[in-house]
Amino acid sequence: MEVITFAIVVIAALFAIGSGVWVATALVRAISRNRTTQTTLPQASDKSNHADI
Amino acid sequence: MDTFLSVGIVAAYVAVLTFVALRARAARRFSDFSLAGRALPLALVFGSLAATYVGPGFSIAFVGKGFKSGFLFLAIGLAYAVQNILVGLLLAPRLRALKNCHTLGDAIGQKYDRKCQVVAGLISVGLCAGFAAVMARAGGVVLNDIFGLPSWSSVIVVVGVTALYTTFGGLRASVITDAFQFTTFAILLPLTLLWVLIFHLDGGAAAFARQAETATSVGFDSTSLIEIVGLVTAFLLGETLIPPYANRALASRTTSISRNGFMLAGFFSVIWFIVMIAIGVAARSIVPGGTDEDRVLLNLIKAVMPAGGYALLLVVLVSVVMSSLDSLLNAGAVAFTQDIVKPFTKLPDETALNIGRCATIVIAVIAAAGAVAVPSIITGLLICYTIWAPAILPALIIGLWSKRPRPLAAILSMGVGTLVAIMFQFVFPSVIDVPAIIPALGAALMAYLLGHWLEGIKSGA
Repeated sequence: MEVITFAIVVIAALFAIGSGVWVATALVRAISRNRTTQTTLPQASDKSNHADI
Repeated sequence: MDTFLSVGIVAAYVAVLTFVALRARAARRFSDFSLAGRALPLALVFGSLAATYVGPGFSIAFVGKGFKSGFLFLAIGLAYAVQNILVGLLLAPRLRALKNCHTLGDAIGQKYDRKCQVVAGLISVGLCAGFAAVMARAGGVVLNDIFGLPSWSSVIVVVGVTALYTTFGGLRASVITDAFQFTTFAILLPLTLLWVLIFHLDGGAAAFARQAETATSVGFDSTSLIEIVGLVTAFLLGETLIPPYANRALASRTTSISRNGFMLAGFFSVIWFIVMIAIGVAARSIVPGGTDEDRVLLNLIKAVMPAGGYALLLVVLVSVVMSSLDSLLNAGAVAFTQDIVKPFTKLPDETALNIGRCATIVIAVIAAAGAVAVPSIITGLLICYTIWAPAILPALIIGLWSKRPRPLAAILSMGVGTLVAIMFQFVFPSVIDVPAIIPALGAALMAYLLGHWLEGIKSGA
């Protein structure tokens, strides 16, 4: 029982870290796509930004 | 040397945050400011939702609860997970499916009428300012701890930086910076737990399990059943679809992303509560027993981390606060523009965007000023929960599920719910034993039924 409690806590911590990494990957993708859009469409001023995030 | 290191780490954090916020770019249209162009992918909806609900209450306070009462608060926190999953299954997709809907007030306006939208807007703006004041106070406490600055200047720094990127970037900047802040604390706080378990826990798994069992027994013995019922109710309903969450439901790219984002956020909350409570349990063998609950995490980090690690984790706590604060400032500003100003006048898009930006600044100023009046972080949050649930939820939920809901029912429910909650919270707090949220919800539901019946008679239905 003691080992199970401890294992659940460690697994939860690893899951949380994994979630952080997943969101970090999506964040990097989102801001790199912003840069690409800015570079390729520098003056597309009033276009919708739908694809950016 | 330690101060230099702390200042250096905080400065580096602010520099990275500014870089991320700038990459989010300034909003050019009101729909960018309010809904980020309705283009958010699942990972960002999930990260932003989790970053918004993991405020000081679900980090600092939960560690303190784990320290004092073990895993009791995990059982109570499950109500919060259930709430998120139910919102994902039943409400978020319906909300996202509404056309031209920017806010909860908008949704209520589409289901009932314009008067209801304005009332919902007033409640939303008031509650966002209230929640933001609580976050401003929490941010002030953390910065005060890092630099020893006076509380008022700490509050101004936290609110000022947050207001700056939220004013220009709107929801897009809020979501992008939330994702960065989520990444910071979702990685560093669990790493802190693993660090404590591996290097600072004498007795290993057996000692940890014994501490958990003892603390949980103490928790159950010292908490009455009625207190547990009140807390479960507050966790189940108090934060349900508050304006920043509703904005994320509305800004999702599709209805399924909206549903899955809330469900994942619900499952993640269980994981998060386990981690926070486990930090509190592990702290029992490191931090002195009489330590104030709100100081357990800070004292633990001070005791087990080298100087750089301590500064880094204080930065994490600033992230926790700012990610909630930016969402509240943006949601309040959007609700003001969309629900209070737009129903009375036709606004060009650029004017709406400027009004939204000005409203962000005004709400930030109100939050900074109100931070002084906040009694404590948890009390402040509970007051906001107590008012939000009865004021909005009956009208919103019934409205989303009914074919022809009646406006008088919504107006009465929102008015009576707000008044009864304020009355039992502030005017007669000791008249009844149960938490104010319960009678206020009952009164709001009765008022809804009464209004529905009265309007039915009036229209001859």
